[in-house]
Amino acid sequence: MNLLGVLEISGSALTAERQRAEVLASNLANAQTTQTAKGGPYQRQLVIFGTRKADSSTFASAFAGFSDRYAQGVEVKRVLPDPTPPVQRFEPAHPDADSQGYVAYPAVNPIEEMVNLMGAARSYELNVAAVQATKNMISQSFQILS
Amino acid sequence: MSWIDTPIIEKLGEYLDLAAFRQTLIASNLANVDTPGYRTRDINFEDEMQRAEGRASSDAAPPRAFEVAGLMERPDGNNVSLDRESMLLARTQLQFRLGVELLRQEFQSLSTAIKEGS
Repeated sequence: MNLLGVLEISGSALTAERQRAEVLASNLANAQTTQTAKGGPYQRQLVIFGTRKADSSTFASAFAGFSDRYAQGVEVKRVLPDPTPPVQRFEPAHPDADSQGYVAYPAVNPIEEMVNLMGAARSYELNVAAVQATKNMISQSFQILS
Repeated sequence: MSWIDTPIIEKLGEYLDLAAFRQTLIASNLANVDTPGYRTRDINFEDEMQRAEGRASSDAAPPRAFEVAGLMERPDGNNVSLDRESMLLARTQLQFRLGVELLRQEFQSLSTAIKEGS
């Protein structure tokens, strides 16, 4: 029940949304990648979010005794490869073409990735607004003393 | 209660605690806006304020948070409403500010009394 811990919650969301944006950017960047270290085309990655209990090891939460069971941050639980099979395109001249002349391209839809990227950016903004609000409340509480 | 803790100061303390607690829930709701299956949680501010009035200040039972009913649910099971949370964020900020201002006034009048009105 304290404001320093609230910053922790919003901070966890900033980290998670940034990681999501990174993975989405990587999907976009590799939309045409046909060669990877594992072999075969790039596989689209999916980010799975989950709730996270407030971390009691950080300074702010330990300092303030933050053990509130209602405080739930967010974190990236897993990054999974999308099981959708690659898109086959007929390009016989391509060096990665198979015996029938088809090249396997990643199943990445740039429009879908862009929409998700916008969602991540908006959620990031939203949590920045929450951080600002909490910061204002903390600095106002200092005025009780003055 | 010592001589300096007037009833108003105690009550304003409860008020600020409650506003800070609600801020925790709002921040949690906003942080989990993209978490599948997350349910919006909140407290009933008026009920908690009345509950705080009826008990001794040493008995610090935490406020009761509940899952908010009647919100539109997305296909992934998440029912966080951005409009609702943004509105509450603004409202809680103002409530906190009000509490701080009133508390400051109260301390100032105490200070005036100590200085014999000078």
